[in-house]
Amino acid sequence: MEAPDIDLDTPSVTLDADPMLLKMGPAHPATHGTVRIIVELSGENIERADVQIGYLHRGFEKMCERGTWSQVFPYVDRCNYVSPLLNNVGYALACEKLLDLQVPLRCQYYRMMLGELARIADHLTCVSAMAMELGAFTPYLWMMKAREMVWDIFEEETGARLTHSFGRIGGMALPPTPGFTEHSQAVVTHVISVIGEAERLLLTNRIFLDRLENVGVMSADDAVSLGWTGPTLRASGIPYDVRKAHPYLRYGDVEFEVPVGVRGDCFDRFVVRLEEMRQSARIIAQCAERMPKDGPVNIDDPRIMLPAKDQVYDTIEGTIQHFKLVMEGIKLPAGEVYGYTEGGNGELGFYLVSDGSGTPHRVRIRPPSFYVTGGLESLITGQMIADVVPCFGSLNMIGGECDH
Amino acid sequence: MATFQIDNKEIPFEAGDTIIAAAARAGIDIPHYCWHPGLSVAANCRMCLVELLPPPGRKAMMLDVLRWDAASGQYIKESKPKLVPACQQSVSAGMQVLSDSSDHVVRARAAVQEFLLLNHPVDCPICDQAGECRLQDYWLTQGPNKKRMNDEPIHKPKAVDFGPHIVYDAERCIVCTRCVRVCNELAKDPVLSVSQRGNLNEITVAPGRRLDHNYSLMTEVVCPVGALTSKEFRFKARVWFLNSVPSVCVGCSKGCNSLTDYDPRESKVYRYRPRENQAVNKHWMCDVGMLDYARIHEHRILEASIAGETVPRKAALEKAAELLRGVSGQKLGVVFGAEFSQEENAALLALSQVLGAETFFEAGRTPGNSDGVLMQADRNPNSAGVRQLLNSEPLPGSELAQRLQSGQLTHVIILGSTLKDARACEQVSQLTSGKRIVLASHQGPLLTGANVVLPVTTWAEIEGTYVNVEGLAQVSQQAIAPQGQALPAFKWVAHLARALGKSVASKSLAAARALFEAPPTASAESSHQAGAQP
Repeated sequence: MEAPDIDLDTPSVTLDADPMLLKMGPAHPATHGTVRIIVELSGENIERADVQIGYLHRGFEKMCERGTWSQVFPYVDRCNYVSPLLNNVGYALACEKLLDLQVPLRCQYYRMMLGELARIADHLTCVSAMAMELGAFTPYLWMMKAREMVWDIFEEETGARLTHSFGRIGGMALPPTPGFTEHSQAVVTHVISVIGEAERLLLTNRIFLDRLENVGVMSADDAVSLGWTGPTLRASGIPYDVRKAHPYLRYGDVEFEVPVGVRGDCFDRFVVRLEEMRQSARIIAQCAERMPKDGPVNIDDPRIMLPAKDQVYDTIEGTIQHFKLVMEGIKLPAGEVYGYTEGGNGELGFYLVSDGSGTPHRVRIRPPSFYVTGGLESLITGQMIADVVPCFGSLNMIGGECDH
Repeated sequence: MATFQIDNKEIPFEAGDTIIAAAARAGIDIPHYCWHPGLSVAANCRMCLVELLPPPGRKAMMLDVLRWDAASGQYIKESKPKLVPACQQSVSAGMQVLSDSSDHVVRARAAVQEFLLLNHPVDCPICDQAGECRLQDYWLTQGPNKKRMNDEPIHKPKAVDFGPHIVYDAERCIVCTRCVRVCNELAKDPVLSVSQRGNLNEITVAPGRRLDHNYSLMTEVVCPVGALTSKEFRFKARVWFLNSVPSVCVGCSKGCNSLTDYDPRESKVYRYRPRENQAVNKHWMCDVGMLDYARIHEHRILEASIAGETVPRKAALEKAAELLRGVSGQKLGVVFGAEFSQEENAALLALSQVLGAETFFEAGRTPGNSDGVLMQADRNPNSAGVRQLLNSEPLPGSELAQRLQSGQLTHVIILGSTLKDARACEQVSQLTSGKRIVLASHQGPLLTGANVVLPVTTWAEIEGTYVNVEGLAQVSQQAIAPQGQALPAFKWVAHLARALGKSVASKSLAAARALFEAPPTASAESSHQAGAQP
């Protein structure tokens, strides 16, 4: 739809009330990033809607083509900045698929634990913000406080709260800290109790339920044809979860359920996320139990892993290794690969093309939010203007993932 | 053509070829340090070892070895085939060679690489070779190994002053003797040799001598590691920041093929490297030519001037046109530039024809010495090209001085700032009679007393064709952007013609190139790729 400019100088005395054009965003408090929604209103009913992304543009994919494969990690951090560890691991796994290598068992469980913690942080953000935008401020504060605890773990593990850049091709930047498993389990237990409290507060609230139930219904067929994945797809009744459908890391070995919705409305999307956090907690508990207490985190291949600093300073082999990996980068074999994992909002795919050099020839990302946001238009068309907020909130659009 | 096999791939060869030479021609790179296509075979680095399968019905020559088995903690008796250096073994038809496909070869190369790094200093961060070093490249491709030796490495002399251009670091040296062979075989001055034995091996200069022949920089060029570094390039730039373009050395009339290495961020040329062309310079360049890149940035004329006063380009152009307006062709002398490209001289010739001038001279650098190898006495890259264009010998410089003095010529356009005849050059520069319009890139005597000076680009700032002493036209490509106010001479000519109400079609490089009948160009596209190391 064209964005018409209303000429204010026109000397007209009749007020055109119908249709009314309303532009929400790109800087609106209820948009979770810079996005503009233009709605054509008849009274309070949305006749037509146009969702415009593109206000956040960094040229992520092009930027990847000017550095080394390792230098992509900070960029993927900034795709979904609510769960950057999932992106880190997803990208590392895609590179490792092309290299045809598998990280040690300890690292696999470490990656799973960090990833599920990130998923909890991601879902906490989504459900709490959704509640807050509908006027429920208390659960928002509770859940943000809980997320803060998860971020404290990340800070302890990676040194950064938000953009960790912690993944590495062939492992992680550092091994787990000594108290990692105990700390995360204690935090997760607390987070789950917070979720329970918030749930009791919200799901017994008539107003909150009325705002969500039967609002923004997405049928299973439409969700599939829109390319939806993740919690939003599962809320529409399709039990597709990359962790179950195409297990990676050790997801084939741990027990967890894939919650699905019935109606595909905002309510289903809300409760699917709540339930997924509980499932993540289950996975974390199992990983904590199985993760080896010691042993290597990174693979032992000098062509891929940076040497230890004392090796760099004291031996010529280490110096050369460092030089080659930093100046020329890890050389991925020529070819192409599609690596995909379950991100916070669905299938996060990286399609990599390597020409055999240390610099990516092409990094194509399949960010889940991009496809999910594509469904917003059909979701809100025919709804009332007030329904835009819960519908949009339930999709959990991440601006960084729509930079595409 | 007869063939043999490397890793089951058919490779054609010529009689007398070694395995490595035939493989290199077929595009297969067998790792090597000491072998150089332009030098004799030393076979001392042992990096190019390959496995030869015995002829049918014969047994392979096997050696008994002990292999350390880490699992059992014991040495195990084994035998392995005798490997041969690919640089020394000549090829015969049907020979079967195993290179990368043989485990024995892979292990042997890794061992050689580990051995060469045994006593190597941790110098990469301060070494000029880093980024183009064989030790680094082969560490990655032939191995990679981690340090196993915990002992203090052997220490040897560092930063040894070998000569005016070369510094030697014995710790980095792998004693491949490429530099020794360059001195013996190319410069015919055996000034370097290997002294000491075993891990104390080092390269030394003959007592009482310095490494000061005209090919000393070739020792640095062939050095596969950072043992020999050039004083001029030392600590000046990092090679991964440099770009390369194929160029032609303009230091003399030989026209050696070179690579111009420049930093695109600051438009500065940092060095030349020789580029292989078997028809001209093979793999080599002389020191004088190698250091000639400095002239791209030194003693330049970067601004236009009228009678010594700096003026905008436009004002100088108008002044030049004003001087030339109405001058009869008979009174106008034109001095072509043997230092400048064919495109620029052709444009000047077109201008002379438009203006009716018929008195032609030649500017250029004064002659130097020939070294009997590559360096020619004529220090101008395009003297032959000027003669091709004029179809005759230009008049001598003394004639220019005399005709200007006698008033036979009242005006002269000069492309260059010196005459080949130093005395005539001096005379012309002192003359007060005759109006001089000088198009020049560098400072020189002819600028003294010149009425108008127009700044011209150097060979590195614009692509150009140069005809060498053997009549071979070669293209040198543009490396950096034109410096200061400089323009290519063919552009100046086009502007000048237009200011005079005439027309010379030389506004672009292609147009200027179309002005002369291009003799068959060679070399620039042929031979080696930019950056390839022999």
